[in-house]
Amino acid sequence: MRVKDGVLKYGFVGPALVFLIAFNIFPLFYNIYLSFTDAELSGGVTQLIGGRNYGVIFDDTRYGTALRTTGLFVVLAVATELILGFALALALQKPFWGKPAITTILLVPMMLSPAVMGLYWNFILNGHYGVVNQALSVFGLFQPQWLTDPDLKLFSILMIDIWMWTPFMMLIALAGLNAIPNHLYEAAAIDRASRWTVFRRITLPLCSPLLFLAVLLRTTDALKQFDLVMAVTGPNDRATQTLSALLYQVMFRGYKIGLGSSYSIVILLIVIALATIFIRYIAGIQAKQGRETA
Amino acid sequence: MKYLRWLVIIPYFCLATLPLCWLFFTSLKTQEAAISPTASLIPSTAENIAPGDLTFSATLDAYRKLATPHTGKAHAFFHYLFNSVIIGLLSTLASVVLGTGCAYGFSRFRIAGARDWLFFILSTRFLPPLAVVVPVLMMYRVFNLPNTHLGLILLYTAFNLSLAVWLMKGFIDEIPRAYEEAALVDGYSPLQAFYKIILPHSATGMAVTAVFCLISAWNEYGFALALNNAEAVTVPVYFAGLQGNIQGIPWPQIAAGVLIFVVPIAVFTVLVRNHLLRGVTFGTIKQ
Repeated sequence: MRVKDGVLKYGFVGPALVFLIAFNIFPLFYNIYLSFTDAELSGGVTQLIGGRNYGVIFDDTRYGTALRTTGLFVVLAVATELILGFALALALQKPFWGKPAITTILLVPMMLSPAVMGLYWNFILNGHYGVVNQALSVFGLFQPQWLTDPDLKLFSILMIDIWMWTPFMMLIALAGLNAIPNHLYEAAAIDRASRWTVFRRITLPLCSPLLFLAVLLRTTDALKQFDLVMAVTGPNDRATQTLSALLYQVMFRGYKIGLGSSYSIVILLIVIALATIFIRYIAGIQAKQGRETA
Repeated sequence: MKYLRWLVIIPYFCLATLPLCWLFFTSLKTQEAAISPTASLIPSTAENIAPGDLTFSATLDAYRKLATPHTGKAHAFFHYLFNSVIIGLLSTLASVVLGTGCAYGFSRFRIAGARDWLFFILSTRFLPPLAVVVPVLMMYRVFNLPNTHLGLILLYTAFNLSLAVWLMKGFIDEIPRAYEEAALVDGYSPLQAFYKIILPHSATGMAVTAVFCLISAWNEYGFALALNNAEAVTVPVYFAGLQGNIQGIPWPQIAAGVLIFVVPIAVFTVLVRNHLLRGVTFGTIKQ
C-alpha cells in the first residue's frame, strides 16, 4: 500500500511540475546562456561574446529611459487605482438598492482584452474624430492631442490602465471592508468616536493587509505593461517605451536576441525582488489563516 | 454621508461606463458615421439622416460584415474567434486537469519539499512573458510548433497552471479527509477515492479555476503575437493587426467584435461572481 502510494502521489504531482519546469526553468537558463551570445532571431552562427551585451545595456540610454518610464507608470497607475478603488469600495460598503448591479457593471472593463481596448481607445481619443475631443469642443475647452503629444501619450495609456484596473482594487478592497466585524463599529459608536477616528483606527488598519496584497498583484502586472503600449503608440515610442516594449523592439523588430536576453535578465532581477516580497506576504496570510502549506 | 457615497459612485460610474456605451453605439454605425468629426449620439431607425444631425441610423451591418474577410486579411472575424475558442477551451481544460491532480497530490500526500515546490509554482506567475518567449520560440522551432494551435495551448496551460494549482489546493484542502478515509475503509482504491469522492466535491472549485484560466488565455496578447502571426491567430492579435490597414481601421466591426468577444467572459464571470475574489488573489482570500 505504502509503495503504491509513493508512485501515485508523483503521478498526481508530476505532470504539472514537468510542464512548469519545461516552460519556465528551461527557458530561464537558456535565456541566461543567450544573454552571453550574439544570437539573432533570423538564425545563423551564434558566438559567445562574454558580457558585452551587459555592457551595452549600461551604455544604452534607451534602457534607463524605459526603466524610468516603467517606474513612473507603475507608481502613478497603482497609486491612482488604489485611491479610486478604495474610495469606491467605501462608497459601496453598505447595502443599498441597485448595489449588486452597479458593482457588476463596474467590473466589466476588467474583463476586456487590454490589447483590443488599447486599440479602441485610439478611436475615442483620436484628435480628428475622437469623441472625447468633440465633447471638449462642445464645452469650448482645450482639446489635447492625446495620442501624438509626447507629454500626453504616457498619460493616455495611464488613463486606460486606470479605467481597466480600478475595479480590481475595488473588488479586493470591498472584500477587506466586508471582513471587518460589525461589533468594532458598534463599540466605536458607543465610545462616540468621530468618523475620521473610526476610519483611521478601525477601517484602514483592518483593511490594509488586503490592500497591500492588491497593490502587490497590480504592481507585478503593471511592471509587465505591454499590450496597451503596443496598441496606443507601438513599441518604439520614446515617450511610452516600457521595459517590455523595449524588449519586444530589440528582439522582434531588431532581431537581437542575445541583447534582448540580457535585457530580460536584468528585468527579471527586478521582478524577482518584488515577487519575493509578494510570496513571503502570501505565506504570511496563509499562516494567519491557519492553513498548512505542506 | 449618504450623499457623499453617491458623489463618489455617480461620477465614476458615468465616466467608466461611457466608453462601454460608446462601444455599443459604434457597433451600430456605418464606418462613415463612426469616424465623422461631428459625432452623432442617438441611434434611430430612420434611413436617411442629414450629416451633422445628433441621431444616426442604426444598422447591424458591422455585425454582418464580421462574417466576411476584411480587406488585406485572409479570414473573417469568426475564423479568429474560432481559434480563440479552441485555444482557450483546450488550454483551460488542460490547466484544470493538471492543476487539480497536482493540488490533490500536495493536499493529501507527504511530498518532499512541498512548501518549496508550491512557492516555485507561484513564482512562475511573475515571470514576464517576454522574458521567456525567445527560448520558448527556439524550443518550438525544434518541434515545429510555432504558428500552431497546439503551441499556444501548451504555453497558456503552463502559464495558467500556477493559478490552477493554488486555487484548487485551497478548494481541496477544505474537503474533509474523513470522506476519503471512509471510502478507503469501504474498499475503494486511493485512485477510486479520488474519482468518486474528491472530484465531485471539488466541482465548484474546478469551475471557478476554469473561468480564471479561460479569461487570461482569452485576452492574452504578448505570446500570441510573438509566436503566432500567420496561423492560429487569436482575436486580440487579429484586431491589433488591423492597425495601419490601408482601408482605415473598421471601427464599427471592431466594436461589434469586441462585444461578441466579451460575452462569454462576462457570462462566466457573473456565474462565478461569488468566488471572484478567490480567483484574483490566488486563493488567499476565502469568501
